[in-house]
Amino acid sequence: MTTTARIIAMLVKDFKVDPVQLTPEARLEDIGIDSIGVAELLFNIEDEFGLKLPDVPLDLATFGDVVLYVDGQIVAQQLSSAPSEIGSEFRPIA
Amino acid sequence: MRRVAITGIGLVTPLGHSTDEVFQSACAGRSAIHPLDIVDSHRLRAPLAATVQFDAAAAHFDPPQHRLLDRVTQFAVVAARRAIDHSCGALSNIDRDRIGVFLGTGMAGTTSMDDGYRTLYGEQSDRIKPTLILQGMHNAPASWIGIDNGLTGPNLTYSTACSSSSVAIGEAWLRVASGVIDLAVAGGAEAPLALGSLKAWEAMHTLANIDALDPGMSCKPFSKNRSGMVLGEGAAIVLLEPMDTAVSRSAKILGEVIGYGLTTDSSHIARPSAAGQAAAMRAALASAGIGADAIDSINAHGTGTLANDVAETAAIKSVFQSRAHLIPISATKAIHGHLLGAAGALEFVLALLAMQERVALPTMHLEQSDSACDLDYVANVARPGASGNVMLTNSFAFGGTNAVLALRSDRH
Repeated sequence: MTTTARIIAMLVKDFKVDPVQLTPEARLEDIGIDSIGVAELLFNIEDEFGLKLPDVPLDLATFGDVVLYVDGQIVAQQLSSAPSEIGSEFRPIA
Repeated sequence: MRRVAITGIGLVTPLGHSTDEVFQSACAGRSAIHPLDIVDSHRLRAPLAATVQFDAAAAHFDPPQHRLLDRVTQFAVVAARRAIDHSCGALSNIDRDRIGVFLGTGMAGTTSMDDGYRTLYGEQSDRIKPTLILQGMHNAPASWIGIDNGLTGPNLTYSTACSSSSVAIGEAWLRVASGVIDLAVAGGAEAPLALGSLKAWEAMHTLANIDALDPGMSCKPFSKNRSGMVLGEGAAIVLLEPMDTAVSRSAKILGEVIGYGLTTDSSHIARPSAAGQAAAMRAALASAGIGADAIDSINAHGTGTLANDVAETAAIKSVFQSRAHLIPISATKAIHGHLLGAAGALEFVLALLAMQERVALPTMHLEQSDSACDLDYVANVARPGASGNVMLTNSFAFGGTNAVLALRSDRH
């Protein structure tokens, strides 16, 4: 399932959002997701996607912003958890 | 000052959800206290409580709203809806900014906070829900009553421990009587049955031992063998409106608030003061413009703790002198438990219903007479015809805030 589909499923289940409204341009406030709702959505996304999102203020205005942000975090955390090839020869041998 | 009528009652209590159900239980002395089954309740010395049978989904909270509401707020909102429905149109034709919400709660969203601390300390996790502050804050129940009904007048939360909701009703009465507002939604809500809260009360040595024969009889106000209180949960809300308005819209007038006394011990943070309690009763009488001889019966604070019941008895004797022995005194916490910040409001309602039905409610589980508690507590059996038409209802608190309400029946 894509990131978009998984987040749609969460919004429908937790916030009773009509999935028809969930276009990339849909403003979160217009679909009933206020600032607390965004914080809660991100909290639930951490569980759903197994992510640890940074505790920093975010400017996520639309549904598309959320999907892009989550996809970006997935890639970033995959990269940071993958074994590094570069420089491995310099690691001290325990 | 305007006369103030009570025109709506809303209840969510261990004794039931309708005024009939609650009154019948109180009259029959049916205890709602039972062994408590929560996570880790085996860690409690005496796991007892008076709980509410409550289904949040059936209470019409949709999931987006429900996730923000602690149990205490759910109780408060449902009780307020019931009080408003009961009033048959009290909110019609009144500007919403002329309607106030006055709510008492001692521990507010303690269940949510307890969950948060369990996550933080118990599970050593930093994943605290983003909604925790909004669930746990003390003014959440009052705020949600306002949101639920679009009420834009004053919205106040009182937290004076066990007198919170009597203070809330008293302060609401003052504002309606003085004309500051034209309608008040007033009362209290409490949902304190989280492990952390129960352990803290237990540590104070205030909670009752379990009665070996019947756990439901563990709270024994004014009885020599009393050992403490039992915590309860729930909400009680009343609507207060000017008598003239209530009469002109042909509302059913359930009774009238006629006085409110509020004093503070300012001596000891936890030890009750008979002098402070007596002063509050006198202040309520003075506020009502009546003498002690006008009081027909009393709903006592009557917690079932060793200290309270002796102090309250002494306070009543101090105010009523030789008449003290003749006044029926009811302590209903024996069966619904101590609802802390909601206790005063529930007992206010029980006093009102007792007068309507002309019955002095029984003080249950009064098994052994105590020479320090030697008044007429209507022991164990309701007394038809004994309530009279004018009552005091007492609420005293840790912190020393003593609140007493004077009320008159609609039959006056």
